[in-house]
Amino acid sequence: MPDFSELSQSVIDGDGEAAREIAAQLLDAGTEARDILSQGMIPGIRRVGELFGSGEYFLPELLMSGEAMRAALEVIKPVLSRQETPPEGKYLIGTVRNDVHNIGKDIVIMMLEGNGWEVTDLGVDVPPEAFCKAVSENDYQIMGMSALLTSTMPGFKETIEALKQAGLRDRVKIMIGGAPVTQALADEVGADACATDAAQAIAKARQLISEPGKETSRCQN
Amino acid sequence: MPELTGLERLNKALDLGQPDTVPHFEFLIHQQVRDAILPGASYEDFIEHMDLDGATVFDKTAWGYETLDQAQGIARDQWGGTVRFTAEDLAHPMEPAIKTEADLDNYTPPDPDLPWRYERLERLVKRFKGQRAVIATITDVFDVARESLLGDVAYFKAMIAQPEMVERVNDVVLNYHLGYLKNCIDVGVDIFVITGDFATTQGPMVSPRHTARFLTPALKKLVEAAHACGVRVIKHTDGNIWKIFDLIVETGTNGIHPIDPEAGMDIGEAKDRYGERVCLVGNIDCGPLLSWGTPEEVRQEVKSCITKAGRGGGLICMSSNSIHSAVKPENYRAMVAAIREYGKYPLSLD
Repeated sequence: MPDFSELSQSVIDGDGEAAREIAAQLLDAGTEARDILSQGMIPGIRRVGELFGSGEYFLPELLMSGEAMRAALEVIKPVLSRQETPPEGKYLIGTVRNDVHNIGKDIVIMMLEGNGWEVTDLGVDVPPEAFCKAVSENDYQIMGMSALLTSTMPGFKETIEALKQAGLRDRVKIMIGGAPVTQALADEVGADACATDAAQAIAKARQLISEPGKETSRCQN
Repeated sequence: MPELTGLERLNKALDLGQPDTVPHFEFLIHQQVRDAILPGASYEDFIEHMDLDGATVFDKTAWGYETLDQAQGIARDQWGGTVRFTAEDLAHPMEPAIKTEADLDNYTPPDPDLPWRYERLERLVKRFKGQRAVIATITDVFDVARESLLGDVAYFKAMIAQPEMVERVNDVVLNYHLGYLKNCIDVGVDIFVITGDFATTQGPMVSPRHTARFLTPALKKLVEAAHACGVRVIKHTDGNIWKIFDLIVETGTNGIHPIDPEAGMDIGEAKDRYGERVCLVGNIDCGPLLSWGTPEEVRQEVKSCITKAGRGGGLICMSSNSIHSAVKPENYRAMVAAIREYGKYPLSLD
């Protein structure tokens, strides 16, 4: 049984060079790529999520750990692809119409990719019809929308209404995020879950697809 | 006590004294709200009409922009990054100016000494000097360096991976700001507001250690430069700042805004812990309350804010960020009326 603790720790430390090196050594020693991901890297990034959630880690540490995940993923990805290991899930994301604040969205994307999700980023200021078009053309499990401003928050509801009108609402689970987001707002607009930071977003996304019939934990504000 | 001018009232509160009434001004009042209250009036006429204690000019309106895509509202700002103008009043950064150390080596900063930057400020000084405070914002070094020069993600990562580069970028912005600040003082500014968030609703964006190394030193230099000329400073930062409150107070800033209610900050607790060291500025929620609440709910919130933080002075009552386009005009009116109703010293709430 290979020792994955050093790899986990390199992710926790945000040490991309070490993460890349250890992942390569494990591969060379014949370790399965999927084990490197699931037993070394993912436990590491989950611990990072906990540290961020408890206020011990901040954005720089979170982003450096995301970088370390990416570095190790680069090493194992060619092997994973050959083994046709499916991604954790497919995630569509964008900020709602008239909202151009992208930092929260970009951090969530980085963390999702680090956790093995395949992410399609529609960018900022995304009109409802663009979300609908993407949902109709692909098989995403989750669609995430973010908004920073009180004045752009109606975009959540508009987009969900547009999906309903197009008969697409049931094709995806919907998450909303951003500074003004609350559980009450998520309930009001008809989203399946909300998250107020990247760590919550990852945990909720995983929960939405692993336990599809179950309600996610309430949003913490 | 004879009635004070708006300038005197704000300065008294910033000096932790008790003025005649709790002062009020806003950093930004969206034109839609202004038009609903006083159709077609200029910003200056609106300030006079509402009898606000200060009038504000944003430094970003004194930045140079080169239009890149008129239809999309995309422009290059004076720092070299691209920004996008939206339905709100201020431009939002899209792409940063500096991607490599070589870009930084070859970087030419903007010139703070261009006379046109101060035209709007001069108009406010001419109209209000000595009566209402003429207030100029300066976007925090952390904000400009992060958003316009390096980009959010790159800046945060560089704090750990390339700390010297972060300090170099910070210095570029600080040098411009010190020049801008000095010029504003020469024109006649009374108060500076240093805008730019240090925190999210969950907590500080960076650790207290990184805050002390990369964020507060530049703020302290700006505060010291203003104080050297007798000009007071308010630091604005949204978010939950409890973990870095001391670090911000230690910069010497006279006031802190907004003690963000949406981030769970309680202004009564801030008064108890910091009320003898810094003026509290805020904190009427401009999110759900001013956008969707009723005038009566707004009135009650103002009463609560003044009850918690008004005793003995050292409070400026205003919105938790701005009077943005989604704020109901009647709620803003109710807020101003309530500040005057409940904010008269000695407080009948005492």
